[in-house]
Amino acid sequence: MSTLQLTETHPALKAAAKTAKWAMLIVYFVIAVFPIVWLTVSAFKTNFEIETSPFSLPEVWQFQNFVNALSVSGLPQFFMNSIIVAVAATGINLLVTSLASFAVSREQFPGRKIFFTFTTAGVLIPIIAFMVPYYTLITQLRIYDTLLALVVTYSAINIPISMFLVSSFMATIPGELEDSAEIDGCSFFQRYAKIILPLARPGLVTAGTFSFIYCWNEFIYALLLTSSTSSRTVQLAIRFFTSQFRTDYA
Amino acid sequence: MSSLDRKTSRNMKWIILFLLPVTVLLISFFLYPIVFLVVLSFMEWNGIEPMSFVGMSNFSSLFSDSIFQTSIKNNLIWAFSAALLQIPLALLIALILAREPRGWKFFRTAFFLPNVISLVALAMMWRAMYNPEFGVVNVLLENIGLGHLARNWLGELDSALPAVIFSYQIYIGYFMVIILAGTISIPKSFYEAAMIDGANVLQQELYITLPVLRGIIVTAGTLAVAFALRQFETTFLMTAGGPANRTPVMGLYMYRRMAGLTYGRAAATGVLLILLGVFVLSGLQRIFGKSDAVGDSVQ
Amino acid sequence: MKAKTVCGMILAVLLVCSVFPAFGGGAREADREIVLTWPCIWVGQDSKADTIEEIVNEFNEMHAGEIKVVIEPQPDYDGYEDTIRTRLAARQAPDIFTFKLSPTTAAYYSGDLLMDFSDELAGSWGETFNQGNLDASTINGQAKSLPYEIGFTPVWYNTELFDEAGIDEFPRTMDEFWDACDKLKAAGIVPTSQMTGGTNSWTSMLWYTHFLGSYGGPGVWEEGWDSPAFEQAAAVLKQLYSDGNTTRDAIGADAGVSGGHYQAGRTAMFINGAWYIGNIRENSPEVYRATKLAPAPQAGDYYGHQVGWLHTNLGAAHTDDPARREAVIKFMQYLTAPEQAKRVSLAAGSLLAVEFELAEEDELDPLQAMFIEAGIQAEFLIDHVEASMPVDVVYELGQAIGAMVLEDRSPAEFVQMLRAADPRE
Repeated sequence: MSTLQLTETHPALKAAAKTAKWAMLIVYFVIAVFPIVWLTVSAFKTNFEIETSPFSLPEVWQFQNFVNALSVSGLPQFFMNSIIVAVAATGINLLVTSLASFAVSREQFPGRKIFFTFTTAGVLIPIIAFMVPYYTLITQLRIYDTLLALVVTYSAINIPISMFLVSSFMATIPGELEDSAEIDGCSFFQRYAKIILPLARPGLVTAGTFSFIYCWNEFIYALLLTSSTSSRTVQLAIRFFTSQFRTDYA
Repeated sequence: MSSLDRKTSRNMKWIILFLLPVTVLLISFFLYPIVFLVVLSFMEWNGIEPMSFVGMSNFSSLFSDSIFQTSIKNNLIWAFSAALLQIPLALLIALILAREPRGWKFFRTAFFLPNVISLVALAMMWRAMYNPEFGVVNVLLENIGLGHLARNWLGELDSALPAVIFSYQIYIGYFMVIILAGTISIPKSFYEAAMIDGANVLQQELYITLPVLRGIIVTAGTLAVAFALRQFETTFLMTAGGPANRTPVMGLYMYRRMAGLTYGRAAATGVLLILLGVFVLSGLQRIFGKSDAVGDSVQ
Repeated sequence: MKAKTVCGMILAVLLVCSVFPAFGGGAREADREIVLTWPCIWVGQDSKADTIEEIVNEFNEMHAGEIKVVIEPQPDYDGYEDTIRTRLAARQAPDIFTFKLSPTTAAYYSGDLLMDFSDELAGSWGETFNQGNLDASTINGQAKSLPYEIGFTPVWYNTELFDEAGIDEFPRTMDEFWDACDKLKAAGIVPTSQMTGGTNSWTSMLWYTHFLGSYGGPGVWEEGWDSPAFEQAAAVLKQLYSDGNTTRDAIGADAGVSGGHYQAGRTAMFINGAWYIGNIRENSPEVYRATKLAPAPQAGDYYGHQVGWLHTNLGAAHTDDPARREAVIKFMQYLTAPEQAKRVSLAAGSLLAVEFELAEEDELDPLQAMFIEAGIQAEFLIDHVEASMPVDVVYELGQAIGAMVLEDRSPAEFVQMLRAADPRE
């Protein structure tokens, strides 16, 4: 473990710690990269090969798989839709949560802790339980089968996580900076936009990454809240292929 | 005193404005569904015919179901392994990378990669890995002289749950990124001063990094535990609760009740899952302290 | 950035929100054409996808300007079932959809969510369907869905592997069957493919149903849990999981694994439907050519039956608009006409609840011909567990097999587990 590195007085220990550190990094590198490698190789195999000898190299490299994938009609649109949804949902999510996080973590007001607790308690909710309410809500908002339905839903679903992350990071920013800014005549909004927001960048990036990946991979609500090909996301195109593994029984 | 009050009241309209968008979204997408869920948990409903009020009977039937009991137990195991294995691993790797060894940015990206892959694909790979006929886990064990451990990982009573949890919690990308982002805010001067005082790396981590990171670690831990508690896709895809009902979790139990058109019981399961989460997290916070997002140190 | 900017941004977002749905609404009102949407699972790589699309396109051409059926691709089975269930719960049934009729989904018939086809079926249209399937789709005198695809799953066996082990023909009695298993094992071949994974323990569920039919006969489902057949068939299943009669990965295996073993020539016996023919023909031509079909060996009083059930029903949303209703009926009648059924069946290898005549010149896959022959030869058909029991029991089946094998539970305890999962009990 790297943390066991000791001072110059123990060179042998230091060397051992260095070895352990690199061993750790390399072992974990293999673990982390293996899925991508496996998936990439599998993309060149037939389904039969994936099912019966999943860890061998393909007998014949099936470039046809990619031709098939690209031949799914509307693939560029699915990609475009996914990008629009993920970018818009993440953008809205970060905008609203950074505003609220600023208020919660940098200001004093009654009910502050309760607001934070209730907001972030949302991370505990198994979102799958909300299929009926979400479907009802989206149809009542008359945005069923639009990209907007997904944008709004995704940006809302990720609020608890983003609130958690963004306000945690905002809270670690030393208060002195803000105080001096206030003395210089910065307004409430300027303190948010000019002082805290730039300093909370690591938190925003982390929350944004979470949100973007969620939007990109989300499938169940994409299937439920959209129906026509024009508002479908790329995950649905991917299922055209992965679902083959499940069609072995009809 | 009075000036602080005046300041707060002057800012109040700003505060309300800042909280408004989140509040609107939360009311529509969390509060309304949760109320729906809670009401439904006291109802019998097959999704087609009108609901009927049944009092606590959904809850009592859950507690008398041994599969539900196993699910609670498994949820706790998931939660604790997230707190005791996943987060320490993420912390260790984040601390190594925080010292910016050669190629650390490359490692950081690589370590995050599995989080980009969909759970369906990961589950497909792990099912193949654990397979005793053609999987690589057993081959690996045989090659390092641990052949006696080879087994049908997902198909044996004792190994299935650990195998499923391992396949999920070995990927720590999210939590590593959160902790790593936290280390950025620690000024380098802290370490320089410590080094002059003769503190070794272990001491530096223990007395400088960890205290500063405590809040962020709790945040990461809270998320890890929450994710572990509410997950069901991995279990659904890896074992579907088997073998012999050894691996079900509450999320899966709930999903199954929805598929069985017993929405009342599904809702009751959802409510209990949320309550369990509140219970576990407040317990963990009592031990490790609060996430300092609303810490009193501010201002 | 000023406060006004942010207010402006929020306003812009709200504006966009309000504009979006208006676009959708306005475009549709413009024409009088009746648009019927069909969230459809037969898309993408599904064997029926191309033919169904052709049929829909033809129908739309015939009724250009009046009716338009729009297929909304639904590429995922679990997701499709989730979606249908949720939409029904929100009281918004899709215009046209498909579902598996079971004691659980029979609930869809209550209320007035689904269109009742009874009146139209009373005429000549009803005669084109297999009467048994039509009866099965009629609950309390209401035909709120149409029988469409049939599942039919005889035992597949690999004649080459049987030859290798010195077995001349498929075993007729259980003694012969276990003897054949021993010979296969002696030759280094795993006798059967089994699985407890997935949502329904597919392959093993079918093995179990075969033996259930042999012990309990055609009336076993009516008899219910008290029939001794459930335990007797479980004992056979337990033996199939013991002594190397199946692969080591059977507990926990999914349909891909269980089918993969048969396709790879690792197992000699397997059970699946005709939709699997295309898959095996493409992947392992040798196994495909060596495959023959048989009824399961006789374990109880009955022999020669097959497992066959109503696999997919067509449903439609109830509507009070007579023109819309007429449009749905028109499409359903077109889709289930014998000539369309024949096209689907020949192209995809599926068996349908609609009866049609085969002509001499129709090209039939040899294995598909064996399926049809096996259907004609069958003494009686028995529904599989999934069609006869609530989904909760189906989920529990794999768990109960696991308990029987791993915890050495008795067949009686196996049945007890299933019963405990049955919400009707």
